[in-house]
Amino acid sequence: MPKFEKMAYDSAEEMIFGTAKSPVQYGRDFVVGGGYVYPELVPHPRPGTEKSQKTLVKEYEKMVTDVLDRCVAIGIPGIQVELEHVYQMTKNPAWGGEIAAQVKRLMENYHRKYGLKSAIRATIADYRKPDEEKVWDSLALETMLEAFEASAAGGADNLSIETVGGKEITDYAIVRQDIRGVVFGIGVLGSLDMEYTWKKIVKIADKYGVTPGGDTNCAQANVAMFMAGGYQDRSVPHSFAALTRAVAAARSLVAYEQGAKGPTKDCGYEDVVTKAITGVPIAMEGKTSACAHSDLLGNLVMACCDLWSNEAVEYHDMFGGTTTAVFAEILGYDVALMNTAIELGKARDLQQMMVLSDKYRDHHGFILAPDNAYEIGKAIVANNGSYYARSRAAAMKAGELMLGDPLLRMSAFEKEALQSSMAQLEAMPENEQDFIDNCCEIYKKQVRGFEPKNYGL
Amino acid sequence: MEALAISNYDNIFKRYDLVSEGSGQGIMATAKDADLQKIMECVIEGETDDILGLVDEALTKLDPMVIINDALIKGMNEVSRLWDEGTYYLPQVILASDAMLAGIELCEKKMGKSMEKKGIVVTHTAEGDIHDLGQKIVNALLRANGYEVIDLGKDVPVDTVVNAVKQYKPVMVTGTALMTTTMTAFEKISNRLSAAGLEIPFVCGGGAVSEEYVTGYKLGVFGKDASQAPGMAADAVNGGTWQELREKYNG
Repeated sequence: MPKFEKMAYDSAEEMIFGTAKSPVQYGRDFVVGGGYVYPELVPHPRPGTEKSQKTLVKEYEKMVTDVLDRCVAIGIPGIQVELEHVYQMTKNPAWGGEIAAQVKRLMENYHRKYGLKSAIRATIADYRKPDEEKVWDSLALETMLEAFEASAAGGADNLSIETVGGKEITDYAIVRQDIRGVVFGIGVLGSLDMEYTWKKIVKIADKYGVTPGGDTNCAQANVAMFMAGGYQDRSVPHSFAALTRAVAAARSLVAYEQGAKGPTKDCGYEDVVTKAITGVPIAMEGKTSACAHSDLLGNLVMACCDLWSNEAVEYHDMFGGTTTAVFAEILGYDVALMNTAIELGKARDLQQMMVLSDKYRDHHGFILAPDNAYEIGKAIVANNGSYYARSRAAAMKAGELMLGDPLLRMSAFEKEALQSSMAQLEAMPENEQDFIDNCCEIYKKQVRGFEPKNYGL
Repeated sequence: MEALAISNYDNIFKRYDLVSEGSGQGIMATAKDADLQKIMECVIEGETDDILGLVDEALTKLDPMVIINDALIKGMNEVSRLWDEGTYYLPQVILASDAMLAGIELCEKKMGKSMEKKGIVVTHTAEGDIHDLGQKIVNALLRANGYEVIDLGKDVPVDTVVNAVKQYKPVMVTGTALMTTTMTAFEKISNRLSAAGLEIPFVCGGGAVSEEYVTGYKLGVFGKDASQAPGMAADAVNGGTWQELREKYNG
């Protein structure tokens, strides 16, 4: 059941990069949301290095050494490294554990030698198949939980994940522009799955004295956003993708309701809403994640970040060094600029520049501008009777905002897509059980492998 | 603090999505009679709820193959044109495909046999990868264009793909992967197929999969976008080799 009943911030104007209502401290003198922004570097191993534990550990050792060396070379005060598990690291929990341990050893050396502040996030791969197995009673889940334990024991400071509950419905719904399926898949099934899995993740984090971080709707809302793509793409309407993001904001909250403390996961574009409601520090990514994917809010998304990330960069040589070193440098200078603005008392000016750069570039940036994200947050907490109610309310608020601001220009097709979704949202039942019954009947017929019992329905 | 304001965004970004808006011709296709027209419109509008009743009614008067060719497939062809000209987005194509396939299924029941397919394509998502939305889109587009799809699903071991190619003898096999660390299975599949003398185009794409990687092994043809799949399958049916497909679509 939803728990958040009010906003952590009194207004959107109060939200700023580098400071969160509930900062988090862990690792080697590493504080997130305590007044300054830090970079979070995500290295990705080259294809082929996943063939054995030995080759993969070696790859991470090289990637992270390059990151730490570059931090020292250009004077970056602190950094978080995310070990975003490739499938093999979770499937073989000992691999992920050993990599965390090796990265911790490296970080301790640099901390001892140079005083470089640092921390490790381990993001376990959710490789459950919701349309083929019981998501709450499967070998995959058992192995994932073992991977959390191994990573925590190895040296991870922050445990995170990108859960996939409801993905079987959302995959079907996104490519059919079906907002009902999005609310059901992300808002209801995704939330129920998070409630179940996060209870277990928090328990493991407590057992090892580490921080339960966060969960992103990467598997669903990011799919919609990436499919919407750039101005010339014709896969998913951008306005529809933005509605999907608003629903994801209601869903990703569940991690913090179950005890996660943040910083949130970098690819959770919905996290600015999370910050407004919960006050936890957030990791964000934008222009610096162009190495992994394109988006239309590269500057705006920095506006309230506490960690600034690159999403994932594959390890290769560039003229300026290896990719992990180069991206550590890019992130480091971005963060230095934000922290300079903080020191000069100009943070609000810089934040407004970030926002105005992208607010009217596309629907996604528009709804995630702090003022609009705050309004979506208010709609979520005002409708906290059920996961369904707050998800639907988030989407409706996002739609109202998009239709209500003439500066957000839309093609006729985009506007029609949005109005059509809004009409569907308005026609949905008020009662959660009615909605669930209706959706179970429809999607059991339409989506192969969908089993409501897997979600306790 | 006073809020900053901008009155002119023209030098900050340009909305290229609005530049060519409305340049398409819109719906143009017409059918031979009123019944066929209604069915065709259902496909074009992606009306999966209404199409079954209309096809059922038409089957009392018309030959099933007439309904398939002159309404269902004709409607789908119009949808493909609308997508090509930028009027339609992918969801309109997927919904149209759903409607068309539902109609075809009814017609096939009436005929007592399946309509002849253009060819067989085996599709899969790499072992260790559960992200199969790209594959699902490929499946839908291939089916909408008259191909039989053997859908092996996601997280598929190398052996399963090789055995399926031996069993179904497809004109083409596809592989989808989101992660670079799962796409390495493609090369193993390629080696196994080549060793067995099954030299058909192996179209690989998705997420972090790159042309450089796919064209580095035998049989590999890089698929940049799911929308290319029907054209590639057509080339394979017409005898195109993997080398010819690679030449045409890559490089």
